[in-house]
Amino acid sequence: MRSRGIGITGISRLQVQNNKLNVVGKRLTEQRINDVKIQFRDFKTNLEEFAQKYRKNIRKDPKFRTHFQKMCASIGVDPLASNKGFWAELLGVGNFYSELGVQLINVCGVTRSQNGGLIAMSQLKQGVEKMRGSKAQKISFDDIERAISKLKILGSGFEIIKFGQTKFVKSVPTELNQDHTQVFALAHRKNGVLTKSLILKEFSWQDKRAESALRTLLSQGMAWIDTQPQEHEYWFPSLIENWLEK
Amino acid sequence: MSYAWPRYYSLPPFFTIQPVMQTQKKQLQLWCDLVLAYTRSKNIHMIDLTEAEDSELFNNKKIERKLSRQSIVIVLEYLIERGNAKWVDKTKEKIQIVWRKPLEWANIIYKWATDNGFINQICTVYELREGDMTQNEEFFGLDIQVFMQALSKLEQKGKAKVFQSESTNESGVKFFA
Repeated sequence: MRSRGIGITGISRLQVQNNKLNVVGKRLTEQRINDVKIQFRDFKTNLEEFAQKYRKNIRKDPKFRTHFQKMCASIGVDPLASNKGFWAELLGVGNFYSELGVQLINVCGVTRSQNGGLIAMSQLKQGVEKMRGSKAQKISFDDIERAISKLKILGSGFEIIKFGQTKFVKSVPTELNQDHTQVFALAHRKNGVLTKSLILKEFSWQDKRAESALRTLLSQGMAWIDTQPQEHEYWFPSLIENWLEK
Repeated sequence: MSYAWPRYYSLPPFFTIQPVMQTQKKQLQLWCDLVLAYTRSKNIHMIDLTEAEDSELFNNKKIERKLSRQSIVIVLEYLIERGNAKWVDKTKEKIQIVWRKPLEWANIIYKWATDNGFINQICTVYELREGDMTQNEEFFGLDIQVFMQALSKLEQKGKAKVFQSESTNESGVKFFA
């Protein structure tokens, strides 16, 4: 065969070679995909066997449950994704989070008139545990956050907000702007009680601005007012421990 | 022996009638609960407005907060609205505390169930006592013990059945015709 130039014969030979390569390439890719599928299937089977074996632990132990969730996430399996099917039946996990979600909604609803729809995560957990009773499955903060993310998907308006190291759950659609958040964060640093002059001192705001932020927080029910001292005090229920206790 | 005050009795803003309606409503419910519990425990049947301001019930000396006379009137009027008190006479200087018997509450709850189409339906106790649909009812926020007593009266008469959820602590009730 002459190596110089392409020529018509050369072109068709190249084409044939290309076609052959394409076919081989395709076969290789298919093989690779199949391999991965088999690997995944095996992995999934192992995971399912694991879940069967440790079903009790998963149900009873919040820490174990969290680890299991992370394992599933690492291969892209979400036991919470559906209420039907293998996972839900095996673990009762799907229902667990749905039930928890309903309980969260209940507690937030009941306390809304006291704290305006903003509640500290620790208070929320306490409220839910009380509702569930001592015989129910134990829950962790991780469980609550997962249930909330499930609720979010349903468009419930639930949001987790962090002030410093403390997490709060906002269950109302109220938008808290920068000013409101700053006042709330200040209140958090001051054990849940503020005066207007404290705010003015801290942020060097105009009187009107502080007044407006406080009025909004008050009207949303996130703060209560005490008019009896020299200067009015603003108390934030969600920042005060045991506010909800009788 | 001193009275076992609830936690909120020591919270200063509790003694300022809140200007925001939604918050005020909750506050007044708490006040009502406190007034009823306190008067029951001390066997007090009447509240005299002229003396009320000095009573420890409305005046927490420890935290230096008290309800003003105006605020006391607001609390008492709410109590009256809920059927737990009535003015002794036209001068509106004294009120008489009225504790409804469980049977009376039973009838009120059952009437609500009938009027609102809940016969042969199931409600949770939470929904009835604290839910959105009963916010304007007299039994809204009713003391849980009294509420459950009322429900058991209805059970005795065959007008309801109370049951406990298996997985949670929630109680439910079904009303019958």
